[in-house]
Amino acid sequence: MEDVIVRYVSRFILPFVQLYGLYVVLHGHLSPGGGFSGGAVIGASMILYALSFNLAAGSKKLSHDVSSILESSGALIFAGMGLLSILLGGNFLANRAAGIPLGTPGNLFSSGSIAIITFGVGIKVASTMITLFYSLIEEEGHSHDHH
Amino acid sequence: MNLSQHLPALIVVVPLFFAFVMPLLARWRKQWCVPVTLGAIIFSFVAAVKMAFQVMNTGPFSYYMGDWPPPWGIELGIDYLAAFAALTITGVGLLIIWYGSKDLLHELKAEVIGWYYTLYLLLIASMVGIVITNDIFNMFVFLEICAIAACGIISIKESRDCIEAAFKYLVLSVLGSGAFLLAVAMLYMVTGHLNFTFMAEALPEAMALYPNNLLVALALLIVGLGVKAALFPLHVWLPDAHSSAPSPSSAVLSALVIKVYAVAMIRLLYLVFPRELLGMAPVMEIILWMSSLAIIIGSMFAIVQDDIKKMLAYSSIAQIGYVFLGVGLMSESALVGGILHIFNHALMKSMLFLAAGAFIYGTGVRKLSELKGIGHTMPIPAIAFCIGAFSMVGIPITSGFISKWYLALGSLDVGRPFFMGVILISSLLNGFYYLPIVVNAFFGEPEKAVAKPKPLPKQMLVPLTILSFGVIFFGVFPSLILGIVYRAAQLLLGL
Amino acid sequence: MTITEIVLRLHANSYYFFAIILFIIGFHTMLTHNNLIKKVIGMNIMDMAIFLFFVAIGYVRGGRSPILEPGVNHTFINPLPSALILTGIVVAVSVTAYALSLIIKLYKHYGTIDAEEIMRIRGGGSL
Repeated sequence: MEDVIVRYVSRFILPFVQLYGLYVVLHGHLSPGGGFSGGAVIGASMILYALSFNLAAGSKKLSHDVSSILESSGALIFAGMGLLSILLGGNFLANRAAGIPLGTPGNLFSSGSIAIITFGVGIKVASTMITLFYSLIEEEGHSHDHH
Repeated sequence: MNLSQHLPALIVVVPLFFAFVMPLLARWRKQWCVPVTLGAIIFSFVAAVKMAFQVMNTGPFSYYMGDWPPPWGIELGIDYLAAFAALTITGVGLLIIWYGSKDLLHELKAEVIGWYYTLYLLLIASMVGIVITNDIFNMFVFLEICAIAACGIISIKESRDCIEAAFKYLVLSVLGSGAFLLAVAMLYMVTGHLNFTFMAEALPEAMALYPNNLLVALALLIVGLGVKAALFPLHVWLPDAHSSAPSPSSAVLSALVIKVYAVAMIRLLYLVFPRELLGMAPVMEIILWMSSLAIIIGSMFAIVQDDIKKMLAYSSIAQIGYVFLGVGLMSESALVGGILHIFNHALMKSMLFLAAGAFIYGTGVRKLSELKGIGHTMPIPAIAFCIGAFSMVGIPITSGFISKWYLALGSLDVGRPFFMGVILISSLLNGFYYLPIVVNAFFGEPEKAVAKPKPLPKQMLVPLTILSFGVIFFGVFPSLILGIVYRAAQLLLGL
Repeated sequence: MTITEIVLRLHANSYYFFAIILFIIGFHTMLTHNNLIKKVIGMNIMDMAIFLFFVAIGYVRGGRSPILEPGVNHTFINPLPSALILTGIVVAVSVTAYALSLIIKLYKHYGTIDAEEIMRIRGGGSL
């Protein structure tokens, strides 16, 4: 895939796409969107990069290994926040009830554990999208070898 | 912080947590995979035992996720049935994966074994989640995790039969989940609640206004969960899926996964839907006939099989019929029999599949006709298989007898001896296909591969021994488990 | 009921009506097509129909998305079904990805993605 137009256009829009994805993830507790939507945008941007340049360039930026590690850690952040609430004396995933400070509603640093969980979900979804893409594409590569 | 009060959440979260640790361990610390998996499931098992004692001593209790009381938050409700099912799942699940830690080494490629433990822990967590949750949407989420993990532990073997069976299972599971979600939508539409307790309160009023809506929801629930539980005639995916999978997967799928959906259906039918609605359409009657057909036809299909695992898979279709027979008869004894059969069948079917796995491990033979004389060369798995077979037929002092006894009593209680006839006929049919194997195993002459089997490792022999001991033990002392089952049935029937 | 009444009722419940039509289209695609990819597409259409149905429950005519602004009073839609369906979508994504990867594996083993063809190669059984 050596299309100049696709390369230039994607090089131009990729930073905006990723910034937007990050914005959606970080403002998940304030506005519509959140971990899943933002993570999907970030994941899609990486997929776009790998598609418009090539797989080797894509895996240099974020290899399959790194994305599967991120995948685990995203889920662990979520579960870890839940367990933290138990350590602090609340029920599983308790937020204010466990004494996690909520901050001022409307600020970026507010809502206690929700913001952190949203961030974890964002990591998880973005890396899952990328891992799925790599797995499918690598599998496809294998099946061409066979025939 | 008092850990014991958080057990309902931890019993699900701990396996879930370690499921995601597992890929990291598989990358750097391969030798830790097995101990960590076993540790996580042992934790869940201990938690389930503790919860069962708590529920027996102080009655049902609930846990609010995130300290949000219902109807706002998700509620985990531990009643007798939930504690009983959680105990069954974690206990049998532990023995199966202990066995699997050795068996998988020869069935799977080395690089995917770590992923197997991830899927297995996800499966255990989601199954426990399904039985203890008191929130219907939460149940849907666990159902989906369970469906994907269950397909995953089949397709991980990557032979073409496994892939194909997993695809078929996946498509039908998704169909089932779709029907379930549509039913959730219909129920939420008329009640405005997702919590079982609140839904049950709102339903009588909603029933007067929108009876058709609720009937559609009921039909969708039964079809959705019926597909997943392989209730006849929705069982088409089961034989291939359960027979082609690696032996530990077959054991967990047949012993636990299909039962979990039965538990879900019991909870929804008895605790959520008002009794009058069940009177409006012959729901229980339909379940009764479907289960009777399952019992008879499942056994008949099993007779003609020559592949040992395929035979066991068809036998599962018949056995899930017993559970639903107990559900459909709506009498106390029958419900006790049905619920008890969940536990008994989990014990004996996992044992049979593991014994079959041991035969395949030792000799590479899957054909029943070639397993002659296996009792001389592999005595422990053969004796386990023999005990499982007797229990399947329902010979006294095995646990299978107890649940059949209660089912038969229940059918007499409601004045329908016909269904007792069904149970008797199916016991005869079970005898037809199980006993010749036992006879062949001990009185045949071993030849070819059967004559010189590979020795079995301890990790495979010990779970088999424990399971066969369990089948006899709960056949001789059923009262240990009957107490909680009786309470569960009484709570469900509102006695 | 006269025809106008039926039309009016359908109009009032148009979201549900179209969701059910979409569901039937998806279901039909899933069951009748032999091409496995088309089966997966049908599966997705069916899922989307259910999501549409669920989200439509929470819709209030003239309602806005529930973001509170100080001093402004609006009718809001019920956000719960939308939030639930987000979970449903996540599940649908993972199921689709998994199904597609299984199809790739099937193609590797059989050299075709036609269910009937696969059945013929296996000799009996059904997919």
